[in-house]
Amino acid sequence: MVSKFLTVPNAQGFHMRPASVFAGAMGKYPCKVTINFNGNSYNAKSTLNLIAACMKCGSEIELVCDGDQEEAALAEGAKMIEDGFGE
Amino acid sequence: MKGIGVSGGIGIGKILLVEEHSLEYTPKQVSDTAAEKARFADAVEQFCANTREQAEALKKTAGEKEAEIMLGHISLVQDPFLLGEVDKLIGGGQCAEASFETMCDMFIQIFSAADDDVTKQRAADVRDVKTGVLSILLGIKEVKLSDVPEGTIICVKELTPSMIAEIKKENVAGILTETGSTTSHSAILARVLEIPAVMSAPDIMKTAQNGEQAVIDGNKGDVILSPDEAQLKAYTEKREKLMQERRELEKFRGKPTVSADGTVYELVCNIGKPEDAAKALEFDGEGVGLFRTEFLFMDKTSVPSEEEQFSEYKKAAMILKGKPLIIRTLDIGGDKDIPYLGLAKEDNPFMGFRAIRYCLKNRDLFRIQLRAILRASAFGNISIMFPLITCVEEVREGKALVEELKAELASEGIEFDRDIKVGIMTETAASGIIADMLAKESDFFSIGTNDLTGYTMAADRGNSDVSYLYSALQPSVLRMIRSIILAARQEGIPVGMCGEAAADPMMIPLLISFGLTEFSVSAPSVLRVRKCISGWTKERADEVAEKVMQLETVQEVKDYLGSVIL
Repeated sequence: MVSKFLTVPNAQGFHMRPASVFAGAMGKYPCKVTINFNGNSYNAKSTLNLIAACMKCGSEIELVCDGDQEEAALAEGAKMIEDGFGE
Repeated sequence: MKGIGVSGGIGIGKILLVEEHSLEYTPKQVSDTAAEKARFADAVEQFCANTREQAEALKKTAGEKEAEIMLGHISLVQDPFLLGEVDKLIGGGQCAEASFETMCDMFIQIFSAADDDVTKQRAADVRDVKTGVLSILLGIKEVKLSDVPEGTIICVKELTPSMIAEIKKENVAGILTETGSTTSHSAILARVLEIPAVMSAPDIMKTAQNGEQAVIDGNKGDVILSPDEAQLKAYTEKREKLMQERRELEKFRGKPTVSADGTVYELVCNIGKPEDAAKALEFDGEGVGLFRTEFLFMDKTSVPSEEEQFSEYKKAAMILKGKPLIIRTLDIGGDKDIPYLGLAKEDNPFMGFRAIRYCLKNRDLFRIQLRAILRASAFGNISIMFPLITCVEEVREGKALVEELKAELASEGIEFDRDIKVGIMTETAASGIIADMLAKESDFFSIGTNDLTGYTMAADRGNSDVSYLYSALQPSVLRMIRSIILAARQEGIPVGMCGEAAADPMMIPLLISFGLTEFSVSAPSVLRVRKCISGWTKERADEVAEKVMQLETVQEVKDYLGSVIL
C-alpha cells in the first residue's frame, strides 16, 4: 500500500468535472484507490463518492492506492490533484 | 414577482410552460434477474448515446468546457459504485427502475444535505441522470426544447443541463425556473449562452400562463407577467442599451488595465467571502484589493479559531493563484451586534472603540487573526491591511505584533511569507493630514473613500438631513485624497482606492492625475472601470484635475466633471 498527503488546489474543489475525470483515470488501474478526508474513506473510482466527500479548495486529503500498479496509480492521481485538474 | 437573477440581461417574450412527464411506475419484483440486468444495461447505454449527442450539440453552442458537464453525466451513470449497488438490488429481485431510483435518491439526499452550495447543486445533475435513465426504462419521450419558436421564454420547474443542451439560443429570449440558483450548472450554461435567466421564481409554473407575454430581468431577478405598454417600452429600451454596453465592455475582457497613453494600472476587486475571489476572477479582476474579514465573525457564538480563519484565508489565496490578495484585519465596532465580543453600546460608535483600536486592546483576538493570515501567506500573494488608522503609533504597534508572530511561527517551523507587506487604510481625516508620516511606516496605502468622506465632512450619509454634504467630490475630500496619493508617491509606495469612488467615472480622471496605482472595485464594475481608464491620458487628466481643484463647491465640481466625461 502506498499513500500521499495532498492539498486540493483548484477553486471549485472536487466538483463535477474534476471528480469525473479523476474517477475515470483511477478506474483504469486494477488496485484499490481511496481518498481519506475528514475522518472518512471514499472510493476514488466513483465520481458520486468523490462529490459526496465535499472536498473543497484547500482541503487536506490522503490518496491511498493498494494492490496491483499502486505506484503508477498514486503517481498519476497525485499529479492530477497537484495540477488542479488543469483548471 | 421576484426570483434570483442568474444570467444577466433583459428577456422579453412569450411564456412556454414546459411540463415534465410523470415518471411514476409501480415497482415490481422480477424473477428473471439476468434479463432485468440486461434491460438496465441497455437503458444505460442508450442514455450515454443520447448524452453524447447532446454534448456534441453543446460543444458547438457553448464550448468544450461546458460540454464536459454533459459528459460528466455519463461518468455519473457509469459510476462503478452506483452500478455495483444497482446490480446487487436487481439481483435481489427489484426491478431496474426501483433499483436505479433508490441509488440516485440516496445520492440526491447526500448532495442536498451538503453544507456548500456547489455540492448541493450536484443533486440536480443526479436528478437529471435519474430522469434520463428512467424515461428510457419506461419508454417515455423526454421534453424536447429544440424546436421552440423565436422569442420564447422557457418556463420550467427545474431546468436540467440536458434541456439547455437542446436549446437554440437565437430562439430563446429568456429562462424562468422555480428552482435553482447562481451556481446551478444550468445557470452557468445560461450565462455562457448569454440567455437572460431568473431562477427560484416562486410558484411560477402556477402563476404564468402558456403564451402569456413576460419580461424578465436577469440582473435584478425581476419577473413581470403580462407587462403593460409602458413597462414593455421601458424594458425594450433597457434591453437595447444593455446589449450595446455589453458588446462594448466585452472588448476589454482579458486585457490589461491601461490608460490611453500606456500607463498600466492594477484593477482589483473588493470581496467579503473567500468564494467571492472566484467571482472576482470571473469578472476579470486582477486580484483582490480588499478582503473584508467581518463575515468570519458574524453569526458566531465565539471568536473563530486560528484553524478556521486560516482555512478561509488560504481558500481565497489559492483561488487567486498568486494574484494579489489584501486582507483587511477585523473592522468592527459598537454599531454591530456581535454578542461574544462584548462590545458596549456607544453613543457615537463611529468615533468609538472599533477596528484597529479594538484589535490592539484585544490582543488575543488580534493574534489569532494575524497568525491565521500569516500562515495563509505561504499559499499565495497576501498582504495585511489595518483599518481606521489615525496615528503613527497604531501602525507601529500593529507591525510590531506582526513581527512578533512571524518570529513565533518561524520558531514553530511553520511556513509563511517572510516579506509579507503591511499596509493601512487611509480613511480618516487624521490619516490624510499626516499621510507623509504614515507613508514612512507603511508598505502601501488604500484609500477608503466611504469612511474618508464621512469623517472629513463629519456627515453620516444615512442621515437624510445631512447626506447632502456626503460626497467624495467635495473640495475638502478631494484635497484629502490628493494629499494621501502625493504622500504615497513621495515615499514610493503603492496607493490604491477601495471605496465606491474608485469606480466613479467622474473620479477616475482625478485619480489618474493624482497618481493612484490601484483601483479596487466591486466585481461587476471591473470591465466598466477598465474601459473608463482606457479613455484618459495623463495630460488630459491633469488639465481636468487642475481645473477641478480650483472649484469651490461640490456642485461646480460635479457640473464640470459631468461636462467633460460625456
